[in-house]
Order: sequence, then structure tokens, then C-alpha cells
Amino acid sequence: MRPILLKGHERSITVVKFNFDGDLLFTASKDHVPSVWRSENGERLGTYNGHKGTVWDLDCCRFTRRLVTASADATAKLWDVETGECIRTFVHYGPVRGAAWADGSDMFATISDPFVEHNARISVYDVPINDDPSTYPDGPRLEIELPKIDGKRVNATNIVWLNLNEALFVTFDNGSIRLYDPITGEELDEFFPHEKKINRVSFNRAKTLFITSSADFTAKLYDVVDLRHLKTYKTDRPVNDAVISETKDHILLGGGQEAMSVTTTSGKVGKFETRFFHLVYEEEFGTVKGHFGPINALDINPNGRCYASGAEDGYIRLHYFDKSYLDMKDPVPEETVDGEDDVDDDDDDEEEEGKEDEESYNESD
Amino acid sequence: MSQHPSTTDDLADEAASLDGYFSDAPLETQPRYPPIDESFDRCVVISNLPKVPEAKYDKLAKVVLKLVSRIGNLSSYGNDDIEASSSSSGCGDDGQFSGFFMPKSDVDGNTAGCAFVEYESAGDARRAIEVLEGYKFDKNHSLRVTPYERASKLSEVVEGEFQMPEPEPFKERPNTMTWLEDTCQRDQFAIRHGKETAVYWNDGRGEPVVDYDGARERKAGVNWCDYYVQWSPKGSYLATLVPSKGVILWGGRGFEKLGRFAAPGVNFVVFSPQENYMLTSNNNGRDPHAIKVWSIQSGTCLRTFPLYPKDFLDPSQSESSDGGGGVPPPPFQWSHDDKYLARMGKDLISIFETPSMKLLDKRSLATDGIREFQFSPKANVIAYWAPEHKNQPAHVDLIEIPSRKQLRQKNLFNVTKCSMVWQESGEYLGVKVTRHTKSKKTLYNNLELFRVNEPGVPVEMLDVKDAVMSFAWEPQGSRFAIIHAENPTSTKVNVTFYDMYKTTELEKKKGVGGNKKGGGVGGGGNKEKQVVAEVNLVETLEGKQCNCIFWSPAGRTVILAALGDSASGTLEFYDVDSKTLVIKEHYRANQVLWDPSGRTVATTVTQPIGGGHFKFAMDNGYILWTFQGKQLSQSSFEAFYQFTWRPRERLTSKEEIAVIARNIKKYEKQFNAFDEAKKRKLRLQETKGKRKSRAEFRAVMARLGEWRARQKQERMELLGGYDSEDEQNFSTKEVTIETVLNTKDELVY
Repeated sequence: MRPILLKGHERSITVVKFNFDGDLLFTASKDHVPSVWRSENGERLGTYNGHKGTVWDLDCCRFTRRLVTASADATAKLWDVETGECIRTFVHYGPVRGAAWADGSDMFATISDPFVEHNARISVYDVPINDDPSTYPDGPRLEIELPKIDGKRVNATNIVWLNLNEALFVTFDNGSIRLYDPITGEELDEFFPHEKKINRVSFNRAKTLFITSSADFTAKLYDVVDLRHLKTYKTDRPVNDAVISETKDHILLGGGQEAMSVTTTSGKVGKFETRFFHLVYEEEFGTVKGHFGPINALDINPNGRCYASGAEDGYIRLHYFDKSYLDMKDPVPEETVDGEDDVDDDDDDEEEEGKEDEESYNESD
Repeated sequence: MSQHPSTTDDLADEAASLDGYFSDAPLETQPRYPPIDESFDRCVVISNLPKVPEAKYDKLAKVVLKLVSRIGNLSSYGNDDIEASSSSSGCGDDGQFSGFFMPKSDVDGNTAGCAFVEYESAGDARRAIEVLEGYKFDKNHSLRVTPYERASKLSEVVEGEFQMPEPEPFKERPNTMTWLEDTCQRDQFAIRHGKETAVYWNDGRGEPVVDYDGARERKAGVNWCDYYVQWSPKGSYLATLVPSKGVILWGGRGFEKLGRFAAPGVNFVVFSPQENYMLTSNNNGRDPHAIKVWSIQSGTCLRTFPLYPKDFLDPSQSESSDGGGGVPPPPFQWSHDDKYLARMGKDLISIFETPSMKLLDKRSLATDGIREFQFSPKANVIAYWAPEHKNQPAHVDLIEIPSRKQLRQKNLFNVTKCSMVWQESGEYLGVKVTRHTKSKKTLYNNLELFRVNEPGVPVEMLDVKDAVMSFAWEPQGSRFAIIHAENPTSTKVNVTFYDMYKTTELEKKKGVGGNKKGGGVGGGGNKEKQVVAEVNLVETLEGKQCNCIFWSPAGRTVILAALGDSASGTLEFYDVDSKTLVIKEHYRANQVLWDPSGRTVATTVTQPIGGGHFKFAMDNGYILWTFQGKQLSQSSFEAFYQFTWRPRERLTSKEEIAVIARNIKKYEKQFNAFDEAKKRKLRLQETKGKRKSRAEFRAVMARLGEWRARQKQERMELLGGYDSEDEQNFSTKEVTIETVLNTKDELVY
């Protein structure tokens, strides 16, 4: 499995995202310029110039027409995907940490960090695609302030729309998740999947499952309907991003020791690997090495044929899976019809070997 | 208020003495009398005094009175002269009581053998009981001193037939050996991580299996252990340390509570090798009872000691806050058979006998200038060394206990430091001597090797030019390994193996001096294989990166490990016999722990409890390896504190092991079949479990799918009537793109 190295960003990668169809890859980094790449061959199609700060998050609408970016320059920008033109700029009170399109792509929500005396905020903007962009109001339709708790600032880390825009789903750096009503701004629910910061949350395409990645070295799988905890994936380093494969029962985990606490120069200390877990059995069955900084962002192509990882080292690696991976089956054979509960030993062993092909691929640049 | 009887009939005198009683003033209706002291806590009864006739009464009374007065003043009731009244019969005849009364028997006029004493203060009375109880009055009489109240109660005791007290119903203590009866001959280990404590079985083949993880305690809402745990030397007990309270011992099937020992602040425990006694320490230099010695069976404290022996510290050092001035307290050491407990003091070793915990022969073993001592692991022999002292050279001594016979003394010169290492079966003692040249500028090493079991204890000296970093005996064997390098700071070191015996083939000739290893004679013809007691070099491995040597308890295999912060965590599994080397790595490993059988070895990354620097906090966990270096299992924890194998006694002798090794083929089949069956069973179980969780997960997904399907209409509306799930819903558009590749103007004629 030879990765395509996407060289274009000059600083740490903050987010990588495939569009809905999987033909484009959007990336953002601390160098202020989000880029779009062709996922087939890693060719850079263009950049979105205009931000004056780190771009923390971006989201592409359902039909890949418009892109919204969240930046530390306290603005969120709306872009035309094809032309790269900035349609509108929405000024916030503090650095914008996350942005997400609502289902239907006629509105989006952002979260902004607390700044000086301003509290963290959730803002919802109406930007119907059929209206003239100049008629969009400058301010948000809805603003939810997130006051300090016990004198401590509240920092939201991610925002997502849920259940056909019935709820706004927001993760926090204290390990909690809250749900807000996007019409009234009322807090609907709060729960604590983790004890430490939730770095990222991602959903499967049907938005029925979500996986949280946390600094407490675990990623947890929940169902969206009952918000019930289903699975936990344990590692020995902070997890920065985790994604659910659409085509297989697999989970991809990325992370590594925080750059600030890397004490030695040895790469193996940090464990900057993409780890592959089985969705159901919670077992790690393979790793892909290559980065030399913690992986900040991961995404798997909806068609399941490739995945991209972006790291603190400034590189984006686009991996196309080998056939051995694509042919991988569930390690546990299906129950036989006559109910005989026996397992063919040889068969099992082969499966295991098949897995190892995947493992420990280390490419020297 | 005096009550002198009137000695005269003179009315005037009487009037004078009664003056003030008759008054015209009205009487106080409620006169204020001093409160009546009705307690008898100032009084004691002394019994078991000699019974003497009338004639000797005064003499006895005088002696007893002198004795009791030493404790404190006796109470006197208006009597100016105690001596005067006490020389009389004390009390009774004339109604006076001077605080001392010795009654006589009604029958023969002899004294009754007891005396009543009243002190001025209750404190004196208590002290009298403490001091005089058991006092040897003369050779036949040792005094009994009883508080008066108790004595008066005792006098009410009705004498009757002696009733045997009902024996306590026999409560069987759990068998602490059950774990050894495991049909799979598995070993156990205990781990501490986070708030959890658990004991696992390890079969040396696959993943460890939980035996007990404190489920009972968790149910009761407590943690099994909040601090460190420790196994006893034979593995019978698991001690959990509760720093606020003391030590709890657990054992038997299901780890029942077997004993509690109150030792506040307990920091560590030292079991005696035969598990009869236990020593706890709270490491508090100010506590006069810092170290406590317990009998495990009865749960009683036998004796306490302060952390430092008397005079051990310079007065200047003991001023500091912890009372120790940074000098580690000299450790207590048990002898192999639990008979003695010894500790080093200033110029002496104090040896205490069990169970009385009294000093052996009432005197310490004088050892001028002692720095360190070690009990032999298999005999009551103490080895110690002392540096140069006045005119005496430095020396290493072997002393037999309890006879205090010096078995061997070896004088050494120019010694900077010694360190002594006993071989596990006590056959050899290795002493690493660090010497300095005359100028004291350069240091060099040599090894002094004692053959303890041979007559005269011959000592061989092995010169090593390099600095020796580590020295380790092969357990149960005659080999040892050293790590050495020319420059102690260099990263590349050499490892050399030596054997205490040399096998030579030589012309038929009897061994010299009878220094022959048993059974070493073999071979035929003129040649004879001869084993000579002579240190010889087996092999040197050069250019290694290691700082520790770990011999397998079974011998033969050795792990050369690079442990610690700056080291790489390289593990080299070396088979000394077949000379095979396997190199593995456990990054940041800080411990290598062999299981008692030598089948499995654990390498761990632990962090100290309560000492959370982030550099310790990463990679916590352990890896289990076979002795050949194959990884068996790996576990990671957020905070991993401790890993400890359950020790077990070696029950088979060397000969028995040899017999088993010869017949290994026979056992092999049996074991293999068993392992195969177990493996299969495990696989089945695992598959079943996975199928179950898969079925559950599929059910969840089906439900979620249904939920999503119900939203279909709404979703389509949001997307402007576009059904994103319908794979057929697409339109094909043909787009023709014309690209002009090249244009060329050509002139056409």
C-alpha cells in the first residue's frame, strides 16, 4: 500500500474531509489556506484564499457546491467550491472552532471559542442556496451563549446537526456532549462519554452511529437514537480522530502523543500510526505507519477504497487499500445452518495471516 | 481534723479543745464538707510476701515499707511521723492508718503474706503495679501487686469446681496451598493498576485469566487495595498495604481475609522466609515503634523497634526533619529458617531469636566498622564486610550463627566499596570489590568468590580490568555473569559468563585436593572428564547494550536488558548452553520479572503510586514473553503500578528434575494433547462470544436502520425531493468536451 503524499500545506493539518461523493478531498491546516484535491490521484485542484488565521474546521455541503470554513481569525467564510470565490464572511466574537452544514444545506452552524470577555457561542446562519448571497443577514439567526461553568471557560470542540435538523450536537473539552434545539436554543440533553477532552466526533453516513475520540486514549461508539454507549476502542495514546468505515465493520483511529510532550526524537515513542479496529469485537488488527507527528485528522472515502490522514507534521497521506484489505472478511465465520458450533482451525489461521499483510507497513520517504 | 483522744480529765482542757463547737451563731443548714473520696484507686494489695512469725514482723514491715515508699509517698492521716506509726502494727489497734498495713493471721499469729498500701496519688499506685509486679523479693518470693478494687473483688470469688471453658468451635483456616493444586500447573501473578487489583493465572501459552479481582470488596463498595501488594515468600499470603491502617493478609481459594495487622503508616513489609513472621515498617524516623514484628499465625505483635538502631546515626544527622538525615535505615534480615532476625547497628549486628525476639545470647555480634551484611539463603551463616579501620585491613567475614564461629575471614586492601551477592542455594558468595590505586585516583574491580560449602571455604580471586556494572549468579547453578566495560559510562558493554567449575579432559589422574564435583566423572579409556573447582571463563559477548542481567530461575536462560529512562528497552534472551540469542524490545521497560518456574517472563512499565510525572505516565503496562523471547500477551493501563509473580516453593529436588527431564517424551504427549484441547475450547468460546456480540450489534443496526427508514420522506423533502438512498436514482448526461490541442496556421496553395 503506497500512499500518495499530498504536499501543499505548510503547517500542521487540522482537518481532512471527503465530500459526499468521495471524489474530492478538502483539507485545512494552520497555514490559513484550505485546499481541495482530487481523491483519485492526489492532484491539487485549488485553494480557498482569504483567511488570516488557522483554519480549524471546514464542511462541504451535500452536493459539493458550497464550502464553509471556520478560522481562528474569528470569521467563518462561505465559499463557492468550484470557483474558489468567497461568497460571504461571517464575523464572530472569537476564534471559530467548528462549522457544520445542516441537512438540506440551507443553513449552517458554527461554534466559537471564548475570547476576552465573550463567552463561547453556537451560531446558526441561514444561507439558502436559492437566495441571492447579498441578501443573507450578517448576523446569525440563532445564537446560544455557553457561559462559564464554575469559573472555567467552556470550549466546544465540534458541532454537528442531528436527526434532520432537530438537534445541534456539540462536544466539549471536558468530555461532555450536549444537544441543543436549533430553533429555540434550549439545551436538550447532556452526557459525559469521556473524562477528558473530546477531540473529534464523526458519524457514519446514515447518521445512526457516532464515534468520539478523546484525549483519554479511547474512542467510543454510540448510537444516535438512544445515545447509548455501544463499544470502546482502547489505545495507549491520545486519540485525535476516529472514523467509521462505510463498507466494512472497521474503525480507523488516529492520534499519538501530543507534540508538546514528545520527549525524545524517536518516532516510535509517539506511536503516530493509523490504527485499524474491528467495529464489533473492539480488537486492533492492524496499523499503518508513516507520519512523524500525531495524526490530527482522518477520513475514509465513502466508497471504502482509500483513506486520508493529516498530521501535525504537515503532511497528508492518501492511502489506497491493497486488495488483501478489500477482500478481508469477518474473522468470525457465520454460524452454520445445522447449528454445529465448530470452527475450522486452519481457516482461522489463514484469516489471521491475511490481517498481517495489512499491518506495519512502513514506508521511508 | 485531729482525733487525738484526750489524755486528761481537765475540763478546761476539754473546753479549750471544744472551743468553737459551741456557738451562738446558727448552724449552717448545709455545711460544706469536702467530697468523700470513695474510690480505692490509690490503694494496692501486695501479695506473695513471706510469712513470718511475730518476732520478725517489724523487720519485714520495715523492708516492705522501704520498698513501697520508693515509688511515692504513702498517704498519711494526720500522722506526723510515718516511721513511728509504721513500726507499730500500722493500723487497727489504735484506729490509725498510715498508708501501710500488713495483717497477721488469726490462727498462728504469723503474717498473712500480704500487705495493703495506700499512696497519695493514683498515679503512684499505678506505677507501683507496673514496677513492683513480679519483683523478686527474695529467692522464693516474687511479689504480686493488685489494685485494691480488683483484690476486693477477687476475695468475693466463690471457690467451686473448675469448669473447663468451652473450646472455641474449630474454625478451619482456609488452605493457603490450594493454588498449587492447579491441574494445569499454572503460575499466578498480581497486578495493581488505577484503582484495581487483580490476580491472574498464567499458563505460559496464551492470555492470562483472572482468578480474583476484588469483586467481593467492590460489591461492598471498597477497593481491594489502594496501595502496594506483596506476596509472602512461599506464595501463601497476599499482603495488601493500607497505609492509614496496616496490613491485611489474604489467601486460600477466593482470597479470603486471613489476618489484619494494625500498623499505621505502613510502608513496606518483610515476610520471614518460612512465613511465620512478618515485619512492618512505616519508615518514620521519629516513631519509636516504627518497625513491628508480628507472628502471622496468632496476629500478635512480638516486638517493636525504632527505625534506626541506637547510636547508628551521628547526632548531627538525626536533627533533620525525618530523623534520618537521608541515611537509609539498615534493613532487617531474616535467616532462611525463621530462627533469627538480624539488623546492623554501629559496629555490631543485633541478632534476635524468634519467637521471644530477645537478643541472641543477650549480646550483639561485634563487627567493627561493618558496612553491610547478608544472611546466606540456605544456612545460618552471615557474611559481612567492613572497610579499612584503624590498623585493620578491610575484610569480608563469614560467621556461623548461633555459635558465632568465624568460618572464614578474607582481608582486602585499598577497598573503596564491596558488594556481596549470595548464590541462591547458598553454595557460593560473590563479592565485587571496588579498589583504588595508591593515589586513590583510579578505581578498578575484582571479584572474590567464596566456595562456602567446601572445607576451609576456599576463596578465589578474579581480576577484572574493566569496571563491573552488574553481577548475577545463575540460580541453582555454578555459573555467573557480569556486565563490564572499560569505561562505565560507555553505551556498549561486554557480558562475560564464568563457571565455578572447569571441565577438563586429561590423562588418568586423580583430581587434586579432592575438589571434585559429584558425578563429574565420566568417559572411558585413558581420558577422564574431570571437573575441577576452578573459576573459568565460559564466554564473552561483546558490544552489548544492556545494564541488567536476569537469570531465569530455572537457569540456563538469561535476559540482558537495557532498562531505565534513557535506555532503549532492548531485551536479549540468551541461552547460555546452546548460545542462541533472540533480541526483542519493550520500549521504556523498567522491570524484568521471571515467573518462579522460568517459563514466562514479564517486562513492565510502571509508575510510582502518587508520583505522577508525565514521563512515567506513558506506555504503562506489561508484556509477557516465553523464556525463548516469544511475546505471549500485552496489556496496557492508564496507570500501572505493580506486577508481582506469586512465588512458589521449589518442591522437587535437582535429582527429581533430572529424572523428569530424561522422561520428557512421555510427558510431552500428554501435555500437548491437553493444550490442544484447551486451545480448541478457548477458540470455540471466543467464537461464540464474538458471534453473540455480532448478533447484538446487528440487532442494534437493524433498529437504527428502521428508525432511519421512517425519516425517509422528511429527508427527501430537505434535499428537494432527491432520494439519496436510491441507487437507481441517477441521470446520465453525456458531456462532450472538445479540447484544442494544437493549432497551426498552414498556407494552402
